[in-house]
Amino acid sequence: MAANWQDFQPIWRGELSEYVTAIAWLPNGKSLVAGSAAGEVMLLPTGTKEAIALQTATGQSIDCLAVSGDGRFVAAGGQDGTVKIWQINSPAPELITTLENKPAWVDHMAWSPTANHLAFSLGRYGQVWEADANAIATTLNFESSSVLGLDWHPDGKFLALCGHQGARVWHIDDWDDDPQWLEIPSASVAIAWSTDGRYLANGNLDGTLMMVEWQLPENPWVMRGFPGKVRQLAWSQPMTAIGSPLLASCSAESVVVWERDADESIGWASQVLEAHEGTVQAIAFQPDTLLLASAAEDGWVCLWHNAQQLVQVLDGAPNGFSCLSWHPHGQLLAAGGQNGELLMWSQSAAGKGFSKH
Amino acid sequence: MVTTETNHAVPVTVLTGYLGAGKTTLLNRILTHEHGKKVAVIVNEFGEVGIDNQLVVDTDNGCICCTVRGDLIRIIGNLMKRRDKFDHLVIETTGLADPAPVIQTFFMDEDVQTQTSLDAVVTVVDAKHIWQHWDSDEVQEQIAFADVILLNKTDLVTEQELDELEQRIRSINALTKIYRTRDAQVEMENILGVQAFDLNRALEIDPQFLNESAHEHDETVYSIALVELGALDGEKLNSWLGELLRTQGPDIFRMKGILNLAGEDCRFVFQGIHMLFDGRRDRPWKSDAERKNELVFIGRNLDEARLREDFRACLV
Repeated sequence: MAANWQDFQPIWRGELSEYVTAIAWLPNGKSLVAGSAAGEVMLLPTGTKEAIALQTATGQSIDCLAVSGDGRFVAAGGQDGTVKIWQINSPAPELITTLENKPAWVDHMAWSPTANHLAFSLGRYGQVWEADANAIATTLNFESSSVLGLDWHPDGKFLALCGHQGARVWHIDDWDDDPQWLEIPSASVAIAWSTDGRYLANGNLDGTLMMVEWQLPENPWVMRGFPGKVRQLAWSQPMTAIGSPLLASCSAESVVVWERDADESIGWASQVLEAHEGTVQAIAFQPDTLLLASAAEDGWVCLWHNAQQLVQVLDGAPNGFSCLSWHPHGQLLAAGGQNGELLMWSQSAAGKGFSKH
Repeated sequence: MVTTETNHAVPVTVLTGYLGAGKTTLLNRILTHEHGKKVAVIVNEFGEVGIDNQLVVDTDNGCICCTVRGDLIRIIGNLMKRRDKFDHLVIETTGLADPAPVIQTFFMDEDVQTQTSLDAVVTVVDAKHIWQHWDSDEVQEQIAFADVILLNKTDLVTEQELDELEQRIRSINALTKIYRTRDAQVEMENILGVQAFDLNRALEIDPQFLNESAHEHDETVYSIALVELGALDGEKLNSWLGELLRTQGPDIFRMKGILNLAGEDCRFVFQGIHMLFDGRRDRPWKSDAERKNELVFIGRNLDEARLREDFRACLV
């Protein structure tokens, strides 16, 4: 057990009518947004206020949702092909835009970290919607398959889409310019820029992880030996001694953490975190620390101190967890379950000032 | 903690056939028959609920999993996020699609494997018009991959023409079941719940095919059956099969077999789709008389004499 470790305690529990497909905190940490396979989109305040249904069950799954960096907008998309955008800083949330894309599904979306630009996937295409103009700024053709993942560079200058044969990266100043292509001999199902923007990592269907230094994309690292496809990736905010963030990856029941080694011949050293007995569905670092949370189909959320030592196991979704989200200030952790469970845990107040670096 | 309830796999039927053969009619019959059940239909290349059909076989490293694009996996994964899951999934491929990547997805993806079970590939053939497209890759592949074939539109052709068609289909695919239909009218138990990919099911080779001593391989794609007495050396067999899949994987559409391994009391059963191989120890042999090896290959550019010779070399 790590020194000074303060347990997370359950503080709230709710339920949606179906599989919780996505959750996200508002940047001020006062509400959590959750979407379900029944089509619900709920705004759940952490205090005593009532939950607000942005959308009630429609029978068609919500597959992704995202909150803009300034907290003004919530967007959600799913199997009915619509992207709905609510403005939520007004007294009552207001639906300001509905983009229809039938029969395409909207599986992935993300707001630019620096502007109110929403990127989302539409089959083989990606689109970017701009809040100021309330209009689609561009449509990007991924060509080789459906878009299986997308991520914005932390400085907001690049948008990366991934799918069959790798990743394509567009520069926002010229959407019409050919994207830079990072070729992978498989389908890439997860993509993530490091928090410092230096690295781009791809998790692939063939059980490999490919990482490039963005300035040197022709020299990728390829990590092999995963027990299955590499489903999700998460970069830490803190840097290690040699100035690189940690990369957590999950594959089947394993979480694998990668740390750049000072020795160039080693490249990235790995550590396998084993505790789960079901497929790990989500991983996320606590903001500003190296505390890693992993949520799996075994019904457990594991907390790993320094991304290596198991310090606590949380439960509450006996049929399995599906998603995770850390409160922006890090004291609260929320998770969604495959039977609609929504749970929130808090690190006790006594843990204030506790440092995990 | 581990999930125990409602963990049954959803059966999947893959429906193929050339344009206008009667796939949609059959699909409507399935939907009517499954009345009250939740049936999801994934239509290939049609709008979003579609999947890609192209497969770029990477023969350099023989890795099929690299070439399945992930689209079907994405769709199935999305559909399965339900407490109240689907009872049945039908994947209708376009008339011009190669069914291989669809079938391979069920062998290579861990999520699709645990959540679904491939029941059968059902191919609808237009008994009158198929000749116009007979030599096309699509028609040959659709017949080669089929577990069940409906010879549809029998009212438009003579009995004799049907016999000829059936015989030519047999020489491509000696494992398939063939039903003659009009308006795709077929008993639903003949196409649903077939469990053609279940290794527990006996290998059923058309007896007539086995009785013919020599086969003229007039078709581009054809079946080869090997039946041999004797026990196999496991190591020799492994290296032979490994080499065969590596060098001829793209040409082997499907294969199935029951093997008698030396020193084993149980049968070894296997199947393969191109380079993907799935095999395991099965039930014990019932009697010594039953102990024999039976293999069927469906593919092209396969040298029957060579295959037989190489296989015999694996016998103890």
